[in-house]
Amino acid sequence: MSMQTGTIAKLLTQPTAGERARQRVNWTMRILVGVAAFLAILPLIALIAFVLLQSAPFLVPSFFFNNPLDTSPGILNAIVGSLQLTGLTVLISGPIGIAGGVYLSEFASPRVVAIGETAIDVMLGVPSIVAGVFAYLILVPVLGFSGWAAVAALSILTLPIMMRSTQEVLRLVPQAIREASLALGVPVWKTALFVSVRTALPGILTGVILAFSRALGETAPLLMTARGTNAENWLDFSTTMNAMPIVIYQYSAAADDLLIGQAWATALVLMAIALTINVLVRGRTVNSRTA
Amino acid sequence: MATERRKTENTTTGAKDELAQAAARPAAQAAKRTSASEGDGGRLTLENVSARYGAFRAVKDVTLAVRPKSVTALIGPSGCGKSTLIRTINRMHETLPGATVSGSISLDGVDLYSSDVDPVRARRVVGMVFQKPNPFPTMSISENVSSGLRLTGGTSKSEIAGIVEDSLRRAALWDEVKDKLNQPGTSLSGGQQQRLCIARTIAVKPRVVLMDEPCSALDPVATLKIEELIRDLAAEYTIVIVTHNMQQASRVSDETAFFSMDDDRAGYLVETGPTAEMFTNPKQALTEGYIQGRFG
Amino acid sequence: MAGLELRRTGGLSADSLFRRITGTGLLVLGVALVGLIVAFVGYSNPLWAIQSPIDFLTSATWSTGTIDENGQVVDALYGALGALFGTAATSLIAVLFAAPIGILAAIYLVEFAPPRVSAPLTFIVELIAAIPSVVFGLWAAGDLSNRLRDTIEWWIASSFGRFIPFLSEDPESPAADSVFRAGFLLAIMILPMVVAVSREFIRSVPISLREGYIGMGATKWEVIRDVILPTARIGLIGGVLLALGRAIGETVAVTMVIGNAEGVPSSLFQPGQTVASKIASNIAEASGEIAIGSMAALGLSLFLLTTMISLAVRVLIRRFAFTGGRA
Repeated sequence: MSMQTGTIAKLLTQPTAGERARQRVNWTMRILVGVAAFLAILPLIALIAFVLLQSAPFLVPSFFFNNPLDTSPGILNAIVGSLQLTGLTVLISGPIGIAGGVYLSEFASPRVVAIGETAIDVMLGVPSIVAGVFAYLILVPVLGFSGWAAVAALSILTLPIMMRSTQEVLRLVPQAIREASLALGVPVWKTALFVSVRTALPGILTGVILAFSRALGETAPLLMTARGTNAENWLDFSTTMNAMPIVIYQYSAAADDLLIGQAWATALVLMAIALTINVLVRGRTVNSRTA
Repeated sequence: MATERRKTENTTTGAKDELAQAAARPAAQAAKRTSASEGDGGRLTLENVSARYGAFRAVKDVTLAVRPKSVTALIGPSGCGKSTLIRTINRMHETLPGATVSGSISLDGVDLYSSDVDPVRARRVVGMVFQKPNPFPTMSISENVSSGLRLTGGTSKSEIAGIVEDSLRRAALWDEVKDKLNQPGTSLSGGQQQRLCIARTIAVKPRVVLMDEPCSALDPVATLKIEELIRDLAAEYTIVIVTHNMQQASRVSDETAFFSMDDDRAGYLVETGPTAEMFTNPKQALTEGYIQGRFG
Repeated sequence: MAGLELRRTGGLSADSLFRRITGTGLLVLGVALVGLIVAFVGYSNPLWAIQSPIDFLTSATWSTGTIDENGQVVDALYGALGALFGTAATSLIAVLFAAPIGILAAIYLVEFAPPRVSAPLTFIVELIAAIPSVVFGLWAAGDLSNRLRDTIEWWIASSFGRFIPFLSEDPESPAADSVFRAGFLLAIMILPMVVAVSREFIRSVPISLREGYIGMGATKWEVIRDVILPTARIGLIGGVLLALGRAIGETVAVTMVIGNAEGVPSSLFQPGQTVASKIASNIAEASGEIAIGSMAALGLSLFLLTTMISLAVRVLIRRFAFTGGRA
């Protein structure tokens, strides 16, 4: 095999045409991926900027503390309604979802786990409007356009989220500590609760909070169930309730500039709450996630 | 003689017999290629080479001359910077964020770190075989071997097929895979995968082949085959091998360099010399201590 | 795999009670799923009594018909082709933009971004997913829509509109809402999902493979092209599918930008509708078994589409988990 002596210098120091082409491609792609990353965050910046701009004139205290029909209209009942609806949803679907997640992680046989995970996958993929239509078809005839129907619809959406996040966090609990507990004679159910769940608790709570944030922004199911209202509503789930997403959706199509402006302001509030929750809950793990 | 041994692999001789044969071979036999021709390409010269990870200096002031077409083993306890050092030779060390190299490394008189030298090109000329065999899972066996050739282009399909066969033969793998060249690279056993990695490294005709503990993930029989391969390859390439296994170093190498760790946790070169001498009559007490198993 | 040993002690011990209680959680999910299926199939039944599913899928006419002298509904034809077309078109446009940009962005985040930039930037991209869709819709209706109309839509229409009527628009009066804009908005909304999933699969490619190719003298891009992308390919496809499913089901944002026009539009730059937006727009007025049945039928179509995608993704990822880790 011939190794051309003396050509090592040439090999190392003089690029061939082919090599230069490869380097050009390399640099082009470097730039392209950077552009792509920039494009990925551009919409966020544009959106936040625009919402801020449009909503600024409307962010007066009366906006937050008055109701839609007051002389100086506000969205109090929408803010209250959103918190009530989402709160009750999480209160109901949270324990059920966590319980199911605990079962899948700690007790279920492999076959049940496979079936359960598939069911969760399917439910996670269900669009929010399908959940809304379901509530509209089944529950509204019985319960009327009400907060209860809305909570049911939202729960269908949040249940699989909480089950999946609970299961995944429990999966991260090292098997070794479960075994240590069992070896000490601690009964299975206590191990599940006081070892597994206890260790995973921060993650489980994070899942609940994130599900809350998700549910807060849902619109379609609410349009068909709670419907929105101009009246004040404190904890009366049996009738129509107002919510921030409903306000945004309904006011956005209005002809009245005042209403459109309020839609923007409501959007800002809703977005601010959602982003704040996400930053607070997930921002803390940002640096440890790079591992 | 080498062919005989290859045939033995595939027939009825069991693993135990192979190991017994190896044990009976005198250790100095491996060093008989000291008459390798020099000046033919592949002389590696390291001068005052230090390697850092950020502020931490992992290797300090190594000066080493590696003879062409020979096998040089780098031995020493864990953490002495041996792997870090060989990664400076093929300019892989600098791919880690914050990692820097100082000193000079030249191949046949050409400074590998000069500004005219693109690291990409340097890695064509200095190849590397890694500790854990890493064939590309989405490529077939022959595609693995030809991967380097297809990168630079300029080789016709028929030429590539010829080089693939040639490289697999040199890597003592051809007979075992010639009927399944289109199967994925990962369908082979560990030892076979490592020989595949060696085949693809030599397919691009490097001058130097670096090996970072190439046998540590393999069983003894596979290790044996690869050690034989290394001795055969030394006729064409300059080989630098990092190994934790002293016996492997004595079996396989012509020259040995012993590293240790200083108080500042930097690795440094303690002593270097022909393998036979290093193992029977080392100059430094530290070297002797390591070889006799008193530490490490 | 069960986290704890299953030991049947018989009777109502604390263990088995706990098991049953937590198992009920899973049961509730199962009941909800079954309930969904039963409800949609059941409520759409009346529609199939008067028209065949083929008509539903292939006709572009959607008419609730008139009431004749006997009080019966006649001439009702519920053809969802326009809606199905809109769903397909918007989702495909969304994936067309989001898949390459998302995967490239993920490559940047994993392979090129300096470590201190990578984590915060990833976080910001994922924050987009936290923004409620109605806010997206509002922004699109108020700002993005017009920008798109004046830039991209205009450019495509003037360059290709003459040859491809599908991509044309009337320069005098470009539409206020369009299918294209809905698709583009969806692209923005699903992008974080593509980036997140792609990022995970790109990161999962073992370092040893990267080093192996670099050691052979490959440039960074070549490592990505020949090693990382092929190895991560199945996962990347799964991520795109997941995003597609999301795009198919998105309602509110699309409804606010697509214009709610019946039938199949003559051009992408004309208003249209999707299955989801159709439900949202029409359900309030739907009364009577058949009209409600049509809404249920639409809902059933959506449910079937998204379920098929969820199952496909599950199968893909499972296979990837078995074969991808072989190196």
